[in-house]
Amino acid sequence: MTKLAPVDILILALYFALVVFIGFYAKGKANTSEDFFLAGREMTAWIAGLSFVSANLGSLELMGWAGAAYQYGILATHWYWIGAIPAMLFLGIVMMPFYYISKTHSVPGYLQLRFGEPARGLSAISFGVMTILMSGVNMYAMAVVMQTVLGWNISFSIWVGAATVALYVMLGGLRSAIINEVLQFVLIWAGAAMIPILGLIEAGGWTNLKAQIAVNIGRSDYTHLWATLGHFKDNPMGVHWTGIVFGLGFVISFGYWTTDFLVVQRVLSANNLRAAKMAPIIGAAFKMAVPFIVIVPGLLALAVLKNPDGSVMHLVPASVAKVTGQHSYDDVLPLMLIRYCGPGLMGLGITALVAGFMSGMAGNVSAFSTVWTYDIYGAFINKKASDKHYVAMGRWSTVIGMLVSVATAYLVMNANSIMDYVQALFTFFIAPLFGTVILGMLWKRATHAGGFWGLLAGTVSSIGMFIWTHSDPGALRYIALSADAKPMAENLYRGLWCWLICVGVTVIVSLMTKPVPAEQLGGLVYGITPIPHDGSKTLWQKPMFWAIVVITVFFILNLMLW
Amino acid sequence: MNDKHDVETAELSIWFFCGILMLAYGVVLVVTGILEYHNPPPNEILLPWLQSVHPTLWWGVVMTIFGGIYTAKYWPKGKLF
Repeated sequence: MTKLAPVDILILALYFALVVFIGFYAKGKANTSEDFFLAGREMTAWIAGLSFVSANLGSLELMGWAGAAYQYGILATHWYWIGAIPAMLFLGIVMMPFYYISKTHSVPGYLQLRFGEPARGLSAISFGVMTILMSGVNMYAMAVVMQTVLGWNISFSIWVGAATVALYVMLGGLRSAIINEVLQFVLIWAGAAMIPILGLIEAGGWTNLKAQIAVNIGRSDYTHLWATLGHFKDNPMGVHWTGIVFGLGFVISFGYWTTDFLVVQRVLSANNLRAAKMAPIIGAAFKMAVPFIVIVPGLLALAVLKNPDGSVMHLVPASVAKVTGQHSYDDVLPLMLIRYCGPGLMGLGITALVAGFMSGMAGNVSAFSTVWTYDIYGAFINKKASDKHYVAMGRWSTVIGMLVSVATAYLVMNANSIMDYVQALFTFFIAPLFGTVILGMLWKRATHAGGFWGLLAGTVSSIGMFIWTHSDPGALRYIALSADAKPMAENLYRGLWCWLICVGVTVIVSLMTKPVPAEQLGGLVYGITPIPHDGSKTLWQKPMFWAIVVITVFFILNLMLW
Repeated sequence: MNDKHDVETAELSIWFFCGILMLAYGVVLVVTGILEYHNPPPNEILLPWLQSVHPTLWWGVVMTIFGGIYTAKYWPKGKLF
């Protein structure tokens, strides 16, 4: 634990003052529902792209994956690369035109157009539950940082963060959230980049770092991205490449990046179709760089963290840390911050972490207020209210959503680790939703009943598998198809199975029910909808060109760290 | 038309917010780095190799330059201030 110097407090105070100012500044531009919920649809590709990746850069990305990198080694990078990049490019090139030209306000709104009100209601409720729970994760993570680094009371940190985010999102809506998210993205890099830079200097470079990790741990499989994935027992995560490629790379990743309204909402704010297609591609380029400030510190900790007596420090799971008083995996980033940053830089690093958590919270709460207002309140409770009334409802639901998030933050304290909690949520709600949305976009024979029952079956089966493995740990061998699988594999294969169940039920029910007339599917289904030209003229303006550049770099990086 | 033009140019750019915060942080870090130049903080005493690197000062210089450039480039042309 350390103590903030006056200069650190000044840096933190400057940040809080600016984010609140932005909230008041954006309030004057948030008078209509289009302004409040979609930032007037006037954001450029760069702003929408940075906001897109920043809204995702919450506690899971910062603390959770730094901790996972310490626990599992470089395998954690898969959640940034194969678990994000292909899906982000697919969103930009294939799916964005449908979201954009259908002029939907939300992903449940698209489901309403494609599969009718029941599917919209189901996805809106499941999304609302998930976002509120995720928002609680961000709050709890921020409180843990404050407690680890500064010894602050957890409740105090939770309430300060929640009140600030609620204030600026309530005042300025999505515009305020986006301005702050771009600011937070820049700040996260400014505050966190010092850790890997100074850490690599101390470790003597990447090659020496790998050698030191092998010495400290006694095994060399912590620094290979693919070479150890041939069998479950050959790597520290206990996973197999089929789970990484199909479960993570296809189902969970595509589900999150293409159907989670938290991120899709940012792209819907783009000012034209080309910007909407470019935003996820720009986001993917920046996403590829994030492991430098998250995964590398986790790996560095394996090499350089020492106890006062000079022995190698061993971090432990949160449940053990609570009993023994040791540091947990989630403490990696704060510990590295204390190690390398004196007064000034410490304040900047703390501010970067706080900014990351607040961007995650703001992303969740602004998406929640949109889905609540449009897809639950406006669709089922009060269909004919004025635009002004819906803006007021958006403001109120922001505050109420934040209060419920505070309650869930206390719930998260009982989870084994942040990662366990978040991965479970993704497979409950996101994996089956992707099955429904992708069939809806690509298969015109999918019917309303098929969409609804497929989504319900996928969600229920995912929750069922979770309960099964948690009541009988032996069930994992059946879900992951191996007796050597470890808990992380469960998430990957659970996501894959529930997606297959969703798709299977959707196909069977669709074939048994009456097809939707083709004239009702215009603008919603691939093959029926003429895609308008995005306006790009030169090669440099074409989203497809930049998508190819990004995917090429993606393959090179994977080969380099094979 | 002129009124609309005035309103648009008077808007504060997102990049202006980024620039001015980086500039402010850069100045604070440079001052701190200079004050710490001969009086290293506890973490640098714990890790002696850090003392010669002066991370606070140099990071402050980098942030001041980038923040200064963005603040000047996106300064709202006298319409609001």
